Amino acid sequence: MKYLAIVWMFSMSLMAASPEVVQYMNELSKTAKAENSSFSGFDAARGKEIFTSTHTGKQGKPMACTSCHTTNLSNNGKNSLTGKVIDPLSPRANPQRLTSTKEVNKWLKRNFMDVYAREGSAQEKGDVLTYIMKN
Amino acid sequence: MRKLLNLSVAALLLAGGVYLYAEDEHEEHEHHASSFVAKPMSKQEKATVLLYQKECGACHFAYQPEFLPKRSWDKTMNSLNNHFGTDATLDPSDHKTIQNYLVSHASKNDRMTGMGGEIAMRISETPNFKHEHREIPKKMVTQADVKSFANCASCHTKAASGSYREREIRIPNYGSWE
Ligand code: HEC
Ligand code: HEC
Ligand code: HEC
Repeated sequence: MKYLAIVWMFSMSLMAASPEVVQYMNELSKTAKAENSSFSGFDAARGKEIFTSTHTGKQGKPMACTSCHTTNLSNNGKNSLTGKVIDPLSPRANPQRLTSTKEVNKWLKRNFMDVYAREGSAQEKGDVLTYIMKN
Repeated sequence: MRKLLNLSVAALLLAGGVYLYAEDEHEEHEHHASSFVAKPMSKQEKATVLLYQKECGACHFAYQPEFLPKRSWDKTMNSLNNHFGTDATLDPSDHKTIQNYLVSHASKNDRMTGMGGEIAMRISETPNFKHEHREIPKKMVTQADVKSFANCASCHTKAASGSYREREIRIPNYGSWE
């Protein structure tokens, strides 16, 4: 039962992404499994932790994904470095989001550097995308 | 009269032109670049300008390449992994297209006289820029709605179309500049 619910939630959340990004998530999932044999699927709760927790970023200062995207992904964010407004990250609020693998890849690389001062692992990327799709 | 920057057909059509600053003291600068007759841009040129505006306009205003010389843009493009403390890396094909675009539309003037041999990475740190903006009180720049001189478009309301005329300036919470 619990398993079914997870499968259901996962497929619901994937509906918020384009086929291209679904494919990308599948590849992340394979890599995550190869890197960690106990990996058993992406998890929005872990994704939330990745998204909302504060770390020492690239500039040596406290940073979180929410520093720019805020905690409400349906609202506009604001780039904390430049002040420029950022359109909502949630694919529900902003259908342009999570439609291009190229965009998603580029920003995850940059933004993990900003917040974690390193690139994200396949599992971390998948978890955080799963969280974004559900919000 | 105000000298026009060395404009490309591309920038003319999409941006309407850029006004040069502080090269010479000016009285009137009424003419507008868009009154020039320009050849239509090719599809490819249009795509390049749009790519530039999308990629280099994602975190801040997409500065017109005419504000810095070639060696500044080369240095910027060769250090995108640490671009003012952030990661602005591009995929190799976009990187090449954008670097070519910046370099071919760069200012022909060096703009760095008086910088002790340093290569300017910021438009806002070039002597020209500082001279042009010397009368603006600091509090108008550091306020939350502007943040820094890098936010051209917060004061220059037509900056996105390449126009920096004085009567188009509105400083947030202070108003026009006459
Ligand atoms: C310094 C500000 C900043 C921080 C911190 C930040 N982002 Fe972003 N993010 C941006 C900007 C700017 C964009 C592109 C904006 C646009 O396309 O309008 C973006 C875009 C994205 C996208 C691309 C969405 C799409 O398909 O268009 C994803 C995914 C993303 N961010 C996730 C994250 C995650 C996860 C974190 C934390 C690890 C994070 N961001 C931290 C500024 C930031
Ligand atoms: C991931 C975010 C990001 C991207 C993408 C980005 N920049 Fe920047 N850029 C910044 C930040 C942050 C600053 C510092 C802003 C400040 O001090 O207010 C900056 C500042 C600048 C400045 C200095 C502005 C001044 O005169 O003070 C220039 C020039 C510049 N960027 C050019 C570019 C170019 C060209 C590109 C495209 C290749 C680009 N940027 C893409 C984040 C970005
Ligand atoms: C805080 C508001 C503010 C910001 C931010 C700002 N400017 Fe200005 N700018 C002004 C004002 C005010 C003047 C007129 C100054 C004067 O005449 O004393 C001016 C003048 C100019 C001029 C000369 C225009 C003319 O016709 O005389 C140019 C060109 C220019 N700015 C470009 C820029 C660029 C490029 C940026 C971003 C890198 C920028 N400015 C950022 C306020 C600003």
